[in-house]
Amino acid sequence: MDIGRPQRIIEIEPVSLPVPAPDLPEPMTDPIVEPMPETSPEPAPAEPVDP
Amino acid sequence: MNILSTAGSLEATKAVEPIVAWRTWALSGHRDGSNLLLRPVAGRSRPWRPMQVTEAGCKHTRLHASPSVDCTCGLHGTHGLDLLRRTRCPAVLGRVALWGRVIEHDLGYRAQFAYPQLITLICQFCFWQWGTHGATPDVVGWFPRDELVPLCWAHLEQAQRYGMEPRRLLPAGEIDLRVRETYAVDPLVRW
Repeated sequence: MDIGRPQRIIEIEPVSLPVPAPDLPEPMTDPIVEPMPETSPEPAPAEPVDP
Repeated sequence: MNILSTAGSLEATKAVEPIVAWRTWALSGHRDGSNLLLRPVAGRSRPWRPMQVTEAGCKHTRLHASPSVDCTCGLHGTHGLDLLRRTRCPAVLGRVALWGRVIEHDLGYRAQFAYPQLITLICQFCFWQWGTHGATPDVVGWFPRDELVPLCWAHLEQAQRYGMEPRRLLPAGEIDLRVRETYAVDPLVRW
């Protein structure tokens, strides 16, 4: 295919590439919350035993 | 901004917006309509990979970067549609974005990088005869070497009479949709 004579050179550096971005996984709407470990109540200090 | 061209007396400019031009492609795919790939219409050159920037190459790549002013290499696009009617076996017509180093010619461009923007299947015989009017194909013929040829009913019949017998026929609408989904581009609806 003959497109004629060259006229000019254009150096094009696009701000964003005209190429579709690959599908990314959907962001989770709810943040994942690590279940808090159940806290066991502090053991009550042993009552001093009278000698 | 004008800068001094390294390629002789050609004017050189800089830009940030890709150029959008006309282009045709050949189409290849498996007999079940999978693995669809756009290809240059000339020869069995490398396909344009979906979702990837296509970069120009040249058999003289050791001698120059592509496109070179003194060569015919580069990814081609045209200003108008009529010139494309002379291309060999076009299966897909569309608009293509061109960027990087682009050499503008009288009737089109040669570019370093490209990606299709809008595409549609065409019946090559309708396109050769009537250009932009009614080249919508009805079927896509599958041929050996995974060549896919979109045809209207009338030209399928004519092709068969002259011994161009597809091994399998696929629905054009479905293949058109699959190509667009493969490349994640919109349909070319007005042209």
